Amino acid sequence: MNSCKSIRELIDEADNPNLLPFEVSQHVDACRDCERFSAERAGLRNLLGSGVRVAAPMNFDAMLAARLAETKNRGWLSWLAPASYARLGAATAGVAALVLVAQYSGLFSSRLTPSQQDTVATTKSNQPGAPSAQPVADAGVVADNHRQPQRVTPIVIGQRMGSSRLAAATIGRVRPREAVSSDDLGVVLVRGQNGGSDVQMPTVSLGAQPLLYVSAGKQQPVRNVGASF
Amino acid sequence: MTAVTHQAQAIELSGSRSIEAANDHELLAAIRDGDEVAFQELVRRYRNPITNFVYRMLDDYDRAVELSQETFIRVYTSASRYQANYSFSTYIYRIATNLAISELRRRKRRKMVSLFSPYTNDDGEAVEMDPPDLNVLQDEALIANERRHAVARAITSLPQKYRAAIVLRDVEGLSYDQIAETLQLSEGTVKSRINRARNLLKEKLTAYI
Repeated sequence: MNSCKSIRELIDEADNPNLLPFEVSQHVDACRDCERFSAERAGLRNLLGSGVRVAAPMNFDAMLAARLAETKNRGWLSWLAPASYARLGAATAGVAALVLVAQYSGLFSSRLTPSQQDTVATTKSNQPGAPSAQPVADAGVVADNHRQPQRVTPIVIGQRMGSSRLAAATIGRVRPREAVSSDDLGVVLVRGQNGGSDVQMPTVSLGAQPLLYVSAGKQQPVRNVGASF
Repeated sequence: MTAVTHQAQAIELSGSRSIEAANDHELLAAIRDGDEVAFQELVRRYRNPITNFVYRMLDDYDRAVELSQETFIRVYTSASRYQANYSFSTYIYRIATNLAISELRRRKRRKMVSLFSPYTNDDGEAVEMDPPDLNVLQDEALIANERRHAVARAITSLPQKYRAAIVLRDVEGLSYDQIAETLQLSEGTVKSRINRARNLLKEKLTAYI
């Protein structure tokens, strides 16, 4: 005995709702619910199928031939319509104008405006790890080698010194590496050692350089001296 | 003169039979070789079913005619790529179905608001408010007209995925496997969709069944 569910599936799948398979008809005759379901389905399908079928208009073939001829004439570059050219040109002109405006307004310039420079200076001086403008309380200016610490000897520039005095000044009192940074703006001149090792130098700007004057173990900032290499 | 030449070619291609006797695949082969008469014959065979099918999908005759013509243009332009794995009717109904569904989606994007569709179902699609009119109508013509409009409204209110399946089955009379090939779905999915569509239609058309 087929269940009502399977019978209803067969009713739904029947090609003709009025001609059901024998076992379905047998079940429908005995089951009132399935009989009602079958009648509903048959009525619905007859209703859907009995609607007026519309036909193509009389000029269908002529309209189709015209559209087909138009399609053939368009060719493979049909997607590039004149309107597309105009849109592409307008978009290009717009982008070019934007680039020009941005260029003239200094958007691409690396220079800072005065107000931006003030902002940068303020920010740097407020940073906790920022180097002080004061000379370090140590015996010289050393190279900042980020790869390995270099043991360097500072040059003392000042008044004319004799060899003994210079020797005394070149006693290797080197600051600990962590106390030195590339922002010290110091000039690194290594006597007698530049030839033997590569020293990584911070950026050196020509002109006035802050130098230290060491005299008898005391240091004090001295006048600016033009750097010479 | 040209038509006569094409006619002769078509007859030759179909193996000494007249072009009316050629099957769809033979006509497609002739179209592939540039036979305009074979294309006209194909149009003659399918213009009414395709127009009717698209019309029942959209409930818009003018647009249905346009899309029906677009269907034949696509058949013509892609004849060289046609592969005779399925019946041609399945192939052309698939093109028409895709065009009709694209049109329905386009209309949905435009948010064409129907006064009959202020509500949405669980799938978020518009559901037509169409309470059954239980009053007795007195004129047979009016009854037929009202019935036709009610059926059209009920079909167009169906969710899109059910609409193509039910129209292909109960209006166009395609078999389940043909519908499955046309919609590129499994036969089980097609049966399920048709069953759900009939249940929805039964609720809307109670007064007419």
